[in-house]
Amino acid sequence: MKINPAVNVQTASAVNASRRRWKQNIPWLIMFAPVAVYFILFKYIPIGGLVIAFKNYHFLHGVWGSEWVGFKNFAMLFTDPATVHTIRNTLLISVLSMAVGFPFPIILAILFNEIRMMWFRKSLQTLLYLPHFLSWVIVGGMVITLFSQETGIINSIWEKLTGRTYPFMYQEPSWLAIFLGAGVWKEAGFGAIIYLAALGNIDPHLYEAANLDGANKLRRIWHITLPGIMPVIVLMLILGMGRVMEVGFDQVYMLQNPVVSNIAEVISTYIYRMGLQGAQFSITTAMGMFEAVIGLILVMISNGIARRFNQSLW
Amino acid sequence: MQISRGEKWFYRINYVLLTLAALTCLLPLMNILAVSLSGNRAVMSGEVGIWPVEFNIASYAALASGSPIIPAFKNSLIITVVGVALCMLFTLLAAYPLSRKAFYLRKPITLAIVFTMLFSGGIIPHYLLVDSLGLVNTYWALWLPVLVSPFNMLIMKNYFEHLPEEMEEAARIDGCGEFSFITKIVLPLSLPMMATIALFYGVNLWNSFFQVLIYINDTDKYNLTVLVQQMVRSTSVLLEFTSLQPDEMNEFPPEGVKAAGVMVLLLPMLIVYPFIQKYFVKGVMIGAIKG
Repeated sequence: MKINPAVNVQTASAVNASRRRWKQNIPWLIMFAPVAVYFILFKYIPIGGLVIAFKNYHFLHGVWGSEWVGFKNFAMLFTDPATVHTIRNTLLISVLSMAVGFPFPIILAILFNEIRMMWFRKSLQTLLYLPHFLSWVIVGGMVITLFSQETGIINSIWEKLTGRTYPFMYQEPSWLAIFLGAGVWKEAGFGAIIYLAALGNIDPHLYEAANLDGANKLRRIWHITLPGIMPVIVLMLILGMGRVMEVGFDQVYMLQNPVVSNIAEVISTYIYRMGLQGAQFSITTAMGMFEAVIGLILVMISNGIARRFNQSLW
Repeated sequence: MQISRGEKWFYRINYVLLTLAALTCLLPLMNILAVSLSGNRAVMSGEVGIWPVEFNIASYAALASGSPIIPAFKNSLIITVVGVALCMLFTLLAAYPLSRKAFYLRKPITLAIVFTMLFSGGIIPHYLLVDSLGLVNTYWALWLPVLVSPFNMLIMKNYFEHLPEEMEEAARIDGCGEFSFITKIVLPLSLPMMATIALFYGVNLWNSFFQVLIYINDTDKYNLTVLVQQMVRSTSVLLEFTSLQPDEMNEFPPEGVKAAGVMVLLLPMLIVYPFIQKYFVKGVMIGAIKG
């Protein structure tokens, strides 16, 4: 049988190419090996650890030896008034945080973009990014100091205006407002970075053309700037949906006090108190799993909706 | 471009709004600084604004006298410096191979890592894992769970992917090996991005609070964040830490000492931040979007 020499050369070069690729891959595989071990151990094994949500965990029997209880832990979560209240609080606070917090970075980015004096813009940005880098211990300490009833500066102004002091941190509505405000204060400036990057990609000719057509500033923002950053807005919205069941532990823990615990007890503080301090591992794992699954489902749904408008994340 | 009268007003209002926003960031910090530097009477009567009244440093002296604040500062430094080095190394080990187009399983592995951003086992399974590895009450419990942030990894991977390809070809022709290619070409070209990511990791580690609260039991291993939080929360803890007598509290106002504690926690951030802040704007974050 005759072998076509051309085919032979082709397979030889294919073998060569795959061998070259293998040779190239060796150092990369060596590099990546510790990372793979790390991700399996610290990210995927804890996901497997979620099985204790379906067990009655006892530290003597460990994760595998403890007895199965099916959905009993979840049934308890959704029937106990205290946990239902916690879930309700979490939803309320996180939805409000998102509703209040989401527009600010976009507005800030658009306003930044309209500043022409570069030194002024840079110093503003430096100041507005700063709070993101402060820990909640600092922000919480500042908020408590500012709103303190006896020595706080806000109350001394309030007293001059109304003649008496007001317990801002000890009334549920004002506490919630301060909580949301602190969140906006800390993250709005830094959140603007991502939109600013997107604004930089808008073609300047569009503005010139609109200007020639007689569109004023607000119309240009509405018809050019906003559509230009829409993909990023959608992206941030999808990512935000994944956190709808989440209220960061540090923020609540720093700002809460016993007087407002009726509204300030959320899933993360519940897990800390009942799970880590009270050693009720199974039911708090169930709570954590509930939070994570809802987050994942919401990301999937919002991504699905975005896909219809060709703006999906994946 | 011609500027109409309406537009002039637009710019004026814009400048005013943004200046106000920037002031809301600046003034509270100035207030804390002023309180930490003011006399007791002025603090208690609530007359301290943004400038110190009856300037003195008694609060800082009280804080430094016999309190665990200096060891806690050292702990925070160790946690941050060692942690950043570990995080940067592991993030590089993950991002570099994943940025190579010829790397086997590039897509599925990237997906598997992104998935951990969207879904995780949660606090309790992580705690049980760290506990079963015997890491509770060691700083490894603070470093290992945050070793590779998928978000930072994606920024780094994207940045590497957009480095000019000619560089790599030229280096290969010169017989440059993988290791020296990374250290001599990739890393020097990536300095702004690396500095930004190191800042992100550093800030998280310096501020770490929840992790320390749940994993560290010995009070002498506490970092500054937890220590300051406990001082801010409770005057009795403050008394214990500063070895002041309750009647001395008249001289050293608790509010002033608390403010001084917050300033100590804040200071390193204020020193490092301006140096690295300038890189944020320079296209580092664009990679995150295009990712």
